[in-house]
Amino acid sequence: MGCWTCAVGCKAINDEPLGYWWNRILTTEPNGSAQVATSASPAIDVPHGVFPNLELAYLPVACQHCNNAPCQKVCPVGATFRREDGVILIDYERCIGCRYCLAACPYGVRIFNWGPGERVPDFIIGYGEDYRTEGRLVFEPVRPMGVMEKCTLCVERIDVGEEPFCVAVCPVGARVFGDLNDPQSEVSTLINEEGASQLLAQLGTDPNIYYLPVRHPDKVSE
Amino acid sequence: MVSKNVVRASTPMVRSPWVWGSSALVVVGLVAWFYELEHGLAVTGMRDVVSWGLYIITFAFLIGLAAGGLVVSASAEVFHIEALRPLSRLGVLTAAIFSAAGGLMIIPDLGKPFRILNLFLYPNWTSPLEWDVTIITIYFLFSATELYYMVRHPDHKRLFKVLAYIALPLAVLLHSITAILFGLQFARVWWNIALLPPMFVASAIVSGTALIVVIAWILQKYHGVTIPSSTWRWLAGLMAVSLAIDLFFVGCDYVTILWDNIPTDRAVLALVLPGGRFQFTFWFEWVVGGLIPFVVLASSKLRSKIGYVVASAVLILVGVYAFRIELIVPGFINPLIQLPPGIALGTFTPGASPFQLVGHYSPTIVEYLIVVGLLCLTALAIAWGYHAFRVGESIESEVPHVKSS
Ligand code: SF4
Ligand code: SF4
Repeated sequence: MGCWTCAVGCKAINDEPLGYWWNRILTTEPNGSAQVATSASPAIDVPHGVFPNLELAYLPVACQHCNNAPCQKVCPVGATFRREDGVILIDYERCIGCRYCLAACPYGVRIFNWGPGERVPDFIIGYGEDYRTEGRLVFEPVRPMGVMEKCTLCVERIDVGEEPFCVAVCPVGARVFGDLNDPQSEVSTLINEEGASQLLAQLGTDPNIYYLPVRHPDKVSE
Repeated sequence: MVSKNVVRASTPMVRSPWVWGSSALVVVGLVAWFYELEHGLAVTGMRDVVSWGLYIITFAFLIGLAAGGLVVSASAEVFHIEALRPLSRLGVLTAAIFSAAGGLMIIPDLGKPFRILNLFLYPNWTSPLEWDVTIITIYFLFSATELYYMVRHPDHKRLFKVLAYIALPLAVLLHSITAILFGLQFARVWWNIALLPPMFVASAIVSGTALIVVIAWILQKYHGVTIPSSTWRWLAGLMAVSLAIDLFFVGCDYVTILWDNIPTDRAVLALVLPGGRFQFTFWFEWVVGGLIPFVVLASSKLRSKIGYVVASAVLILVGVYAFRIELIVPGFINPLIQLPPGIALGTFTPGASPFQLVGHYSPTIVEYLIVVGLLCLTALAIAWGYHAFRVGESIESEVPHVKSS
């Protein structure tokens, strides 16, 4: 419904500095392609179409955790890596800040630490501690200047059996998290029954994030 | 045949004003880099939408010049072009120094430059950047070694023949891989074309030759080195042909996009064509550095005047630089998913949106200073190498062969 709760929640729990959004809610048209030449308007919440046939839908976009992730393929030092369960993570101790992954990602979800990062409030909020997986530093409360960062799918939470924070905070349950390898899981059933799609599927990146179709587009009718 | 006066004539150069001026600019560039290290890449004009800028543009430009150097020197051997022989050592020198300069150009672009060794410690071989780092390293080592042998064992003709046959494909590979670095990225429609490597190779040959022309002219004018007129003719011809091929490739790409109606492709081309935000790159590439030098070089009357050839070479260098800008920046302007509010910038300016739907980039003074500093360092290195590797003598010593043949 375009309330940005997940985006703000993400920002808080990961203590993302000002100007950083790992998770954004894009304004689009119902069931349209994410790739459009020109959007209806540069502003959010502006419907598509000509009055009175106006339509609008929201597309929450964060890292798609691609199975065939170009960002991982182009990273010259292997700082971006794919964990066995499919989560794409960045090793903050290895990244050299070349930003090749930023050029390679078709979804525009990576954020570089251009400067030291300004935080309001200026004390640490959210997880507040380093997190390692496979021995590699994949979360720090304050990421160093000069490295790349992005959505981690809340590895800290999913590793202890909790849902990613964006899923947990969504007030209307629009986000579902689960195991795609298990055909009985809620996500798998939903994807099969409703015919979910991947963003820019034609590129073959094979994301692990699926989008369910908009079943009842809200129309401003005559 | 070694003419002593060449060496003597050029010694006062160490005290000449341009050396002082360039050295000062190198220092200024270094200071700018320290400033950038302190405050991060936020001091550049790059952000998360247009995430590569002047540094990478200059990097691609320098690597092209490096590739051109070996092409000129190896062609003399491989294609038996006697007229180019006097420039063999000069070509290898520019190849070595410009490949090193290209490698150095990457450093200020890195967020964590002190981790650069990770490139060798943890190589990820699926990354075209890793391929490029490898080929640049090999290329530098190769040309430095060849230079060493040219100075130490100048009579080892067989060796240089073998090296020339390795050098030519190496030079082509160097710039093809640099092209592939961009060309494989399907997230950027403007780069993702199979034509990019040949385009880069052609632009490398034309700009590398132009660079040799400019250096040769400086040597002739200020250092009393005589470059035979047959050499000038060959250089002019090589520039004309490679310029035509280069523009032909770029033109093919334009036509492909113009004929179809794929909105994302058209959107980028519209930025570049007359009327677009980046139209200056079009004018510089096609007119200033394209049509004008081509007409000059194609006309046998104008071509015979060295001044015109040198002026064309300068215009060509400008045009090729414009081509690098045209490729890199517009490639970022329209992200594949371009829906409001756009991509988060990664920095925050009070009162301005933290998102950008259409990319904007203008280099900051820090970027200019660093790039100018590096270019000055490169020029100084060429001047130093010219003396250290006795390039002047190598030119003079080959001249009689040309005259007698
Ligand atoms: S969405 Fe982008 S950053 Fe995330 S895995 Fe895919 S390519 Fe990488
Ligand atoms: S910026 Fe870091 S994560 Fe991205 S490609 Fe470069 S080294 Fe890898």
